[in-house]
Amino acid sequence: MDPECSQLLPALCSVLADPRQPVADDTCLEKLLDWFKTITEAGSSLLLLQENPCLLGLLCHVLKPQDLSPRVLSFSLRLAGMLAAQEDCFQYLQGDSSLFVASAAGQLLVHILGLSLQGPAEGHPGLQTGDWPVCAQKIVSHIEESLRSAATPQITQALNVLTTTFGHCHDPWTQVLWGRLSPLVACLLEKDPVPAAHSLVDLLLSVARSPVLSSSSSGLWETLAQTLSHLSPTQAGPLALGILKLQECPQVLRAQAFAVLLQPLTCVLEATAQAPGLLDSLDGTGGASVTVDTLLPSKAACVGLLCRTLAHLELLQPLPQRPSPWPQAPLLGATVTILRLCSGSATPTSDAGGHLCAFLVGCVRVQRAALDFLGTLSQGTGPRELVTQVFAVLLEYLTSPDSSPTVLKKAFQATFRWLQSSPETPGCSDLDPHAHLFLRELLPVLPKRLCSPCWEVRDSGLEFLTQMIGRWGGQAGFRRALLASEVPELTEQLLRDPESYVRASAVAAMGQLSSQGLRVTPASPEHPGGQQKSLLAELLHILSTDSEGFPRRAVMHVFTQWLRDGHADVAGDTERFVARVLQVASQDLDWEVRAQGLELALVFLEQTLGRPSSHCPYAVTPPVAAPPSSLAQALRPLCRVQLFEFAFRALFDCDRPVAQKSCDLLLFLRAQTASYGGPQGSGSVPEVASVEAALQRWQAGDQGQPLGYLEPEVVVAVLRSMDLEGLRGALAESSDRVEKSPQSLLQDVLATVGALGEDEADCY
Amino acid sequence: MPEIRVTPLGAGQDVGRSCILVSIGGKNVMLDCGMHMGFNDDRRFPDFSYITRNGRLTDFLDCVIISHFHLDHCGALPYFSEMVGYDGPIYMTHPTQAICPILLEDYRKIAVDKKGEANFFTSQMIKDCMKKVVAVHLHQTVQVDDELEIKAYYAGHVLGAAMFQIKVGSESVVYTGDYNMTPDRHLGAAWIDKCRPNLLITESTYATTIRDSKRCRERDFLKKVHEAVERGGKVLIPVFALGRAQELCILLETFWERMNLKAPIYFSTGLTEKANHYYKLFITWTNQKIRKTFVQRNMFEFKHIKAFDRAFADNPGPMVIMPGYCVQGTVGHKILSGQRKLEMEGRQVLEVKMQVEYMSFSAHADAKGIMQLVGQAEPESVLLVHGEAKKMEFLKQKIEQEFRVSCYMPANGETVTLPTSPSIPVGISLGLLKREMAQGLLPDAKKPRLLHGTLIMKDSNFRLVSSEQALKELGLAEHQLRFTCRVHLHDPRKEQETAMRVYSHLKSVLKEHCVQHLPDGSVTVESILIQAAAHSEDPGTKVLLVSWTYQDEELGSHLTSLLKKGLPQAAS
Repeated sequence: MDPECSQLLPALCSVLADPRQPVADDTCLEKLLDWFKTITEAGSSLLLLQENPCLLGLLCHVLKPQDLSPRVLSFSLRLAGMLAAQEDCFQYLQGDSSLFVASAAGQLLVHILGLSLQGPAEGHPGLQTGDWPVCAQKIVSHIEESLRSAATPQITQALNVLTTTFGHCHDPWTQVLWGRLSPLVACLLEKDPVPAAHSLVDLLLSVARSPVLSSSSSGLWETLAQTLSHLSPTQAGPLALGILKLQECPQVLRAQAFAVLLQPLTCVLEATAQAPGLLDSLDGTGGASVTVDTLLPSKAACVGLLCRTLAHLELLQPLPQRPSPWPQAPLLGATVTILRLCSGSATPTSDAGGHLCAFLVGCVRVQRAALDFLGTLSQGTGPRELVTQVFAVLLEYLTSPDSSPTVLKKAFQATFRWLQSSPETPGCSDLDPHAHLFLRELLPVLPKRLCSPCWEVRDSGLEFLTQMIGRWGGQAGFRRALLASEVPELTEQLLRDPESYVRASAVAAMGQLSSQGLRVTPASPEHPGGQQKSLLAELLHILSTDSEGFPRRAVMHVFTQWLRDGHADVAGDTERFVARVLQVASQDLDWEVRAQGLELALVFLEQTLGRPSSHCPYAVTPPVAAPPSSLAQALRPLCRVQLFEFAFRALFDCDRPVAQKSCDLLLFLRAQTASYGGPQGSGSVPEVASVEAALQRWQAGDQGQPLGYLEPEVVVAVLRSMDLEGLRGALAESSDRVEKSPQSLLQDVLATVGALGEDEADCY
Repeated sequence: MPEIRVTPLGAGQDVGRSCILVSIGGKNVMLDCGMHMGFNDDRRFPDFSYITRNGRLTDFLDCVIISHFHLDHCGALPYFSEMVGYDGPIYMTHPTQAICPILLEDYRKIAVDKKGEANFFTSQMIKDCMKKVVAVHLHQTVQVDDELEIKAYYAGHVLGAAMFQIKVGSESVVYTGDYNMTPDRHLGAAWIDKCRPNLLITESTYATTIRDSKRCRERDFLKKVHEAVERGGKVLIPVFALGRAQELCILLETFWERMNLKAPIYFSTGLTEKANHYYKLFITWTNQKIRKTFVQRNMFEFKHIKAFDRAFADNPGPMVIMPGYCVQGTVGHKILSGQRKLEMEGRQVLEVKMQVEYMSFSAHADAKGIMQLVGQAEPESVLLVHGEAKKMEFLKQKIEQEFRVSCYMPANGETVTLPTSPSIPVGISLGLLKREMAQGLLPDAKKPRLLHGTLIMKDSNFRLVSSEQALKELGLAEHQLRFTCRVHLHDPRKEQETAMRVYSHLKSVLKEHCVQHLPDGSVTVESILIQAAAHSEDPGTKVLLVSWTYQDEELGSHLTSLLKKGLPQAAS
């Protein structure tokens, strides 16, 4: 600790210990803890206490019963726990009404327990709890007492302490502890309802995950099985998922867990009288199936349980340890059925089905969860007729006027995933006829969505379109279908959408359309027979005039991509294009546009210096420049597009990422120039000096005159004379580092103490 | 026992990072999702891991409600929805939805650009988050699901700020967000129905302040600015709270116009300019004056105020006016707390030579305003958030004394549990209602009335019907319950004569009742039957058997006591 802070510390401690002194705001306390943490991590906390007796004074003081604010109490507890991580002492406290205090106290208990057993129990794994240090014994009996308690909060606390302990520590003594406490935990299952079920599930899973405990405790799997059958379906879901995620676990238990997880979907299939074949494979237990009435008795219960089940299965699906065989077909069937029940297109024949239908119709929550899961299921295959049903239900959602914007977004996402997974026709890399048929129906729907009064829907539609073109833009069938629709025209109109998010998405979509040669140029009445304004000009217009940042950023992304791919409009006169774009971007108020300008400059630089860049296979390949023979020749195009003026200005940009990016670009360039022989910066001295002077003025904040055309030799000389490494170091520091220092923090806390009460805190 | 539970994850006895969890009628709602200006790491956001230790947030929370666009109320939203993974609905008003992304973008810029933070939410995340928003109109009852409904009320404070009523069945909570009970230059005053919620969660920033007249403060402000400008100086007003910038712009603009001043006023481009666009757009949310003049001139089209250009950024003059609170860890905080030397970047120490003025232009309700709102809504209990503990304590006592309701002030992470009386809806049959109406008494909400009927519980529904209908519906036969009683009379005469004496006695005493002597010798009074019989052992005593239905219980007991007194001696 530096001497300045040591001097301030006693005053701070006395302020904290004084209940009459209000502490301005608890962010300060949090930051103080951060600071103490760095100190104790760097050195000994005992030394910290010895050098600053005021800290010990504070800790002893807060232990006395008094009217201390909870925030100072929780601060002191956490400080004590932090110090205890190195030295052992300290009392514990638990069961405070505040979540934060209780949680801090719980963590402290875990720390102390671990610490007290580190020495003694380590060498003797067989040591029973009776031989443990007094402090550890006290904690164990406290936990036992809590587990026996009738009050749920107390049980929860004890379970949480154990969960944290077993989650963090895998020493042999944890085995002894679990051996002693597991009967008490098992007793909880005998109560009805099971108290603190969530915490109990957490504990059992953390025991099952602990390599020490899962291998040794013979009763663990029985307890888990018992718990699965005792808990309500909603509570059992997370436990079932946790069990299925375990790396090693008896097959019987896995089957039971999977059956629990699948139960609600089985119920849905049964109620809607699906083919019995589907049911058999879903209902793993083969036992008596539960009915809708018991499992999904009310609307709230039904919606909640179905959403949870779908989410759990979604998490499970991509895992390697998921149950095998994976019932892909029944899951697809159930999900499609749920979506149909939600949209009202299912016609239930049974009473139970009717109930379900009444519960689910129009339920956005279930629709969202089911569409998410349906998307995930696209990773597997399914019987043809089921896939047909999937596309049908997706189309239904995309067409339905009742679909809410969030549901539509998910429907678009699921559709894209299903199209992506549909097998490609062998021989021709086009969509399979099946998906193709679907596409023919889908494309007429898209214009309606692009004209939606909801900007969210228009935007989701455009995002979907951009993805589609990116994936199938080169395929004949897709191209024909797209060109036959109104979609390209509408997309272009959306460049002038009132909502900036939509304009930005339209820019991205148009960029893609144009890259794939899909932009239609109809002869409009305004341009009879003539050429429509080129997209390049249109996008440049957006870049220089749009009042919002998003569309301008999107334009820069499109331009960078075009340059990378050698887009026809760019390849014609690349230098002119780059010069124009950099000129407009340099004046942009949005730092991300300027940063993207540097990205574009970097692509140009790489292309010019003869670095091959990745090409889109469908784009026109730009003439690959043969590596220039001399450095001057290599740099001349860069000079012509005034790339250096742009980069030098960016170097002193008021927005740090722009300056950092420019610094990186110039460092890269300097490294490149070193690989060439040739002129070693032999530019005419006065010219170099005048550039350097201009740079100094820019650094001081003066905008100044443009540099104009620079000779390559001058650029090289300037580059070599600059301390770019030093600048990079300075830029790496954040702008608020001075205010963030511990000394500044201590001063602030003390400065506020006197002033508090007079000044009103009137945040916003 | 049904209960309402409230746990602040932020704004519990502090200001910043507003985030309050409410459980009501089995529904869980998160009120606001703000960030804390004082932190640079994950702690700037509420600790969402406390909400649910296992399971997904989307399953636990039924909805999130954002009261207004200030970052201490919405700054954690993209983090919450796109990084922590909440996928459910988010409710806010239309102006809040429009302006929120501007502030979030700006916040992102500061975090990523100035402070160089990695792992911050991206622009795409902000957009994706805003797509989950369901925008609501004022006073529109929005059905979140079948049971949960919410309704927005005007809160003043900033454009689009709203108070929200959250209702499940007959239980309700009102959350004020930040509000202002006095109109300012561009917004109106907060207003709410007399909605009598079970709980009112109110901000309490100014729990102990009774504010002076705003006019004085404004005059003071204008005087200071004017003097500095007259001296040839410059004034820098770092207005960091959106909404206040517009307020001060209107204030300065009108003053400049009135005084015919020529000195230029600049505001920094970017945030204020962008927001001005929306202030023009959502003119219906402003106060009456602005709406009225809107036809001739939009108050947000400023004449004297121009966009600020970096080129003007030379030495900013001799005065700085801070129009609001500055959080620890900022230069503003240091200047306000009186530090005269500031260490700047590069170990350079600057002396603060300029005059520093602190003038509050914050748009919060003061103590009087808070009391006024409590009076307006008439809640059963009050819970204070968004304020300092010490000041809350004072206001809490005041509320408890004046309104005789309990008032809570939980710290962050502390749960307040309010028991509520279970409300069981009971349907009533038309027949029964008509019968009540036939008695000629019109229903009066203030006078509860006793109603007799049969309560039927069927399919977990309750219905009150007439007993006849109940019998019919349930297919039951009616059973008559009769009370019987024996009265011994000393009368040696024959049974028939005794009966005759009883008849004439009752006829003379119970004039308003129908008393009959039946051919079989028994006497009836309404449903009451009296028969005389001889005593088996004592011939001088007769036994009167009296029986009556439960409907005539009163009369039956009256009659029995009458008979027990004996019959008047007949003139023989």
